[in-house]
Amino acid sequence: MSQIWQHVMDALDVETFLACESEEEGKNLALTMMKELGFSDIDVVFCQFQGPGARVRVRAYLYRAGDSYPWLDLEKSTEAKKA
Amino acid sequence: MKDRKRVLLAPIDPVHDIGLKMVGRSLSEAGHEIILLAPDLPLEEIVQTALDKHVDVVLLSRTVGYGVAELLSRFNDLADAAGLRDQVKIGIGGMAIRPELAQELGFDAGFGPGTTMEESLAFVEGRPYEKDVRLTQKQRPCVAQGHSYEYLNDRIRGLLEVIASRIAAWAEERTSPGVERARVRDELWDMDKWRSGEKMAEFEAAYAPLCEALVRSYYQKGVLHPKTRRFTAEEADSLNTFLTRTALFMNTPRIQHTLEKPIIFNQYGTGCPIMDITHIKVSEAWGADGVVHFDPSWGARTEGLFDGFITHSEDGTVITPDNLFHIHRSLEPSTLWQVRAHRGLNTPETVVLAGKIGAHMTKINFCYGSLGAGTDPERLTVDAYYAMKYAKKYDLPFDVVTNEELCGVPAYKAFAGMLIVAQLARSLGCRPVLQPLFCYSPEVMISKQMEDNYIDFNAAKIIALRSIIDAPIWPGAPIAFLTQTEDRVQSSAATAFHASLSAMLGVDAISIASSDEAYSGGPITVSSKVDTLRAVAEGFRFHGRSKFMPSETATRWAEDIVRGIESVLASVAEKGNFVSALYEGILGSREDGAYPGRAGAHTVSKRST
Repeated sequence: MSQIWQHVMDALDVETFLACESEEEGKNLALTMMKELGFSDIDVVFCQFQGPGARVRVRAYLYRAGDSYPWLDLEKSTEAKKA
Repeated sequence: MKDRKRVLLAPIDPVHDIGLKMVGRSLSEAGHEIILLAPDLPLEEIVQTALDKHVDVVLLSRTVGYGVAELLSRFNDLADAAGLRDQVKIGIGGMAIRPELAQELGFDAGFGPGTTMEESLAFVEGRPYEKDVRLTQKQRPCVAQGHSYEYLNDRIRGLLEVIASRIAAWAEERTSPGVERARVRDELWDMDKWRSGEKMAEFEAAYAPLCEALVRSYYQKGVLHPKTRRFTAEEADSLNTFLTRTALFMNTPRIQHTLEKPIIFNQYGTGCPIMDITHIKVSEAWGADGVVHFDPSWGARTEGLFDGFITHSEDGTVITPDNLFHIHRSLEPSTLWQVRAHRGLNTPETVVLAGKIGAHMTKINFCYGSLGAGTDPERLTVDAYYAMKYAKKYDLPFDVVTNEELCGVPAYKAFAGMLIVAQLARSLGCRPVLQPLFCYSPEVMISKQMEDNYIDFNAAKIIALRSIIDAPIWPGAPIAFLTQTEDRVQSSAATAFHASLSAMLGVDAISIASSDEAYSGGPITVSSKVDTLRAVAEGFRFHGRSKFMPSETATRWAEDIVRGIESVLASVAEKGNFVSALYEGILGSREDGAYPGRAGAHTVSKRST
């Protein structure tokens, strides 16, 4: 995993407007987009379809409750990465 | 009741789902018998109760998402095994439910978030669901309706009548290149011929000499403005495909809750008419009642209008017949369309073009346009006078904006200018709409009227105007100007609070910005438009029909504003020559932050009789 993600406290939200023909299509497009960005623990937080497309907020969890959190000690995490 | 149904309501959550209770109440009110079970009963007990009570319909609800598919699947198996599935209709609903899930699991219906009571009732009664037309169809509203334009302040009325009649007499004897182009556009430019691509030689021969070199070379050599490019035929075709597809899914919901007003306007002006159209469609789909065309600043300082379906990468979308035509045909029938004409060298011609293409409103104010937007006061006073005449001819009400407040001009001076314009408009038979700013202006930053809250001074403005004249009021533009930051939550909240205040004050319309209002790094996004529309809708839902009670401070400040307006109008009347009053700063001085514009200076001439 790239070092930049060690700074993310829990999740990455992407909010955008997707041109599509239904709410379902909007959700699928949003999830596909996150997968193509390389995320696996993903979910659609919000999706509203009207007329031209869907307003979506899609989330990738990087650290869930109970995971190990690299941002607790970023120096150590960076050293471990280098080693 | 003929088809009275017995309905079992079962929440399969640890707590009652409020939605299920609301459905229960709605079914009861419709005459059906309701059996509401306790939450979180074993599924076997729910199935057995349904059998024992001989119900017609079972409605299950589930709010918690975890394990919902497994749980409902097990219920289905139990219902099948007990023979319940053959006897009753079973529907599932709640926050965790989607219609697709219900279908996948074999239920008769699934009601997700946003389900209406009517939808559940139709399912229970076994009839097709018909959408509430209020949610999908709305009529185009009118801003300038329901007001008498009667004055309530005789002293101010008297001063305004004197000043406006002098302006009319002065302007009637003058003309400008802008006025002459407007006349040519009005008399020689034919919309039908233009649509059929027929060359209008007489128009071009008369029009081109009245334009500056850049525009003239377009009509004589076909050369476009260097900052613009023409759309390709493929791009135009793709736009048609987009509009056809969008039309299949288009609704125009109301953003207001229980009140009819304020009418909500959203400005567009990405620079690209195709992107503008997408912004407009999204605005319409999220409840905007009207949209406002915003043109680039260079367009306002250029003598003459180009033509062609053209785009550029700057703020504001170029006014051409082709651009306006494409935007107009993309609008929903219920959408109000305003084309602004208030600040530049093409003011009267823009009104003519807007009227011929089908705009519903325009925007005119020579005080702001000449003190805060760069156009020479003499030129704009003449141009705006004729623009008003065309607004009357093409039946275009217009707002009189007071954006000079953003330069630092105090509200009372800006209002004096606005009222002069409004009185001149009334004398010509027009329907002006007063547009005070709901903003955190330099005046209040310095004088600290908004140190505690944003309510009192904005309310004072409305109270002051209402004590002078019964005219439509449309705070803008946009509301919450200079209170928003780049943070979308803060920006949306600020917009919603100002919108709620506007509604509680009972104004006729408001202009709202996107949540990108304070961002200056690039064009605003379509998502940011949805942000503020959703926030405003939530604000309207929150306050409903509740009223705002002005404080003593607001009342006192309103009286100060009225006194200030009177004093400014008296000075303008005493000066005699209105244009001189503008140059000399009576309606906003250099010390205030207002500088008379220079664009179009020395271009006014006496009309030949």
